Amino acid sequence: MKRIATFIALAALIGLSSACNVEPEAIRYGTDNCHSCKMTLMDKRFGAEVVTAKGKIYKFDDVNCLMSFVNSPEVTSRDMKYTLVTDFSQPEKLIDATIAFYVKSPEIKSPMASQVAAFETEEAYKQHKKELNGIYLTWGELTAQFK
Amino acid sequence: MKDYIRYSILCLFTLLLLPATANIIVVQSGGKISSIRSAIAQANAGDTIRVKAGTYREGNILITKPLVLIGEGKPVVDGEHKVEVFTVEAEHVTIEGFQITNSGVSSMKDLAGIGSLQGNFLVVRNNEFIATFFGVHISNAKHVIVEGNTFRASLRADHETGNGIHLWQCANATIRNNTINGHRDGIYFEFVTNSLISGNTSEKNNRYGLHFMFSHDDEYRDNIFRNNGAGVAVMYTKNVTMVNNIFDRNWGPTAYGLLLKDIRDSHIIGNRFDRNTIAIYMEGSSRSEFKKNTFVGNGWAVKLQASCDDNTFSENNFTSNTFDLSTNGTMVLNKIDRNYWDKYQGYDLNKDGVGDVPFRPVNMYAMVVERIPTAVLLWRSFLVFLLDRAEKVFPAVTPENLKDDYPSMKPYDLS
Repeated sequence: MKRIATFIALAALIGLSSACNVEPEAIRYGTDNCHSCKMTLMDKRFGAEVVTAKGKIYKFDDVNCLMSFVNSPEVTSRDMKYTLVTDFSQPEKLIDATIAFYVKSPEIKSPMASQVAAFETEEAYKQHKKELNGIYLTWGELTAQFK
Repeated sequence: MKDYIRYSILCLFTLLLLPATANIIVVQSGGKISSIRSAIAQANAGDTIRVKAGTYREGNILITKPLVLIGEGKPVVDGEHKVEVFTVEAEHVTIEGFQITNSGVSSMKDLAGIGSLQGNFLVVRNNEFIATFFGVHISNAKHVIVEGNTFRASLRADHETGNGIHLWQCANATIRNNTINGHRDGIYFEFVTNSLISGNTSEKNNRYGLHFMFSHDDEYRDNIFRNNGAGVAVMYTKNVTMVNNIFDRNWGPTAYGLLLKDIRDSHIIGNRFDRNTIAIYMEGSSRSEFKKNTFVGNGWAVKLQASCDDNTFSENNFTSNTFDLSTNGTMVLNKIDRNYWDKYQGYDLNKDGVGDVPFRPVNMYAMVVERIPTAVLLWRSFLVFLLDRAEKVFPAVTPENLKDDYPSMKPYDLS
């Protein structure tokens, strides 16, 4: 009896842990390829990731590659559990794309020439906006612009 | 009026005299002038500065007038891991015969061995770049020449290597006979037009041997791309001519010999693809011509995605590739004709050198692996052999019209 209980507990645990597995993963720079443009991700200041409700992970090397995926029939906004971009001022750190601060400036040489950098905090974006002489964009403006 | 004429004549004379009066300034450690910086400060436009052998540690060296800098006996110019070594801010500058080493590394700035923001007619010749972040970084320039240089990045983490030769918004550039090793991309072109890349060897770079982005009307010929993350990537570009290059051993899970993404009206002629994971991967590309290329010993010779149309493949040799051709759809919008396939088992009864039955280069198994990559484990198993034979009789998954109607019985002589 005890054995059966252990078995059930174990099964439940496995079931639970696999259900919890829908989590973002770190981008492996130099190894992972961009889902849209097929380029190898190299620049740790850029990079984006989408995790679907089913746990499928798509990686991108630039905001415009992420946008072309978001706007494609491959995925609906309901499927997307996480939409993440890299904080320009904290290389490799993935942040929530929908509430990030974006700066667009010709000074920003991103891998696919989107000229867009993302920031997690308002201070960081303000500082870089001045330095890079760019304009401010929100997620909504960004999705509209790259449609 | 008279003054004006006199002034014009004077100007004309100075212009005529300029080359003749160009001075030569000699820089030598322990000599009268011992630093390159002070030589530049003293020089007039058009002068030549000869730098004798030795090591020069002078921080960032800024060139703001037309000058010719010639190193004699490979003088070493060391950036001590802090600065961009040479920064060119003038037209008609030549830098020749130096060893340029240890530029600074920055994730925010593209520091280089030689950087130029707008220098038309820049010539960089016969230099050695050792452990520079970017080797040569040129923006907004026309008529630049980069030739006979060697680039050797030090073995650092990926993000600490920039590109060997990096051009951004340039036109009429010539990149010739350079050797590039260990950078992110060997040669990188972004918004570069009407340029020629020839005779270079680009190997062991982290990402691509050569990389085109939005760069139209260019040509690359007689180059060797070996052991890179991927050989060459041509993306979002039109009218590129790719002739007589060697794509050798670009091997690994995500490695291509040649990656074509959204390109059109291009010519891929006379190239050799030797032992690449995928010799050519193409997506969203159209109206291009693939002729007289050799594919030997690749995992996949050509991965032609269904998003490609109006391309022609003719007179190519396909030998000992695991898969000659694979695709991810059943639409056939490309023309494949008169190639040599070593897997062809047909006959030639009328002895005209052309096989009498068509050859279907896509086998069932290539289609299966396209959908389920792990199925590659079953490759060469008896079951797969049986299925393949069955598929040949009743095609079910392979695109039925994707065939070479005139397969050559003998390989073309393309050497």
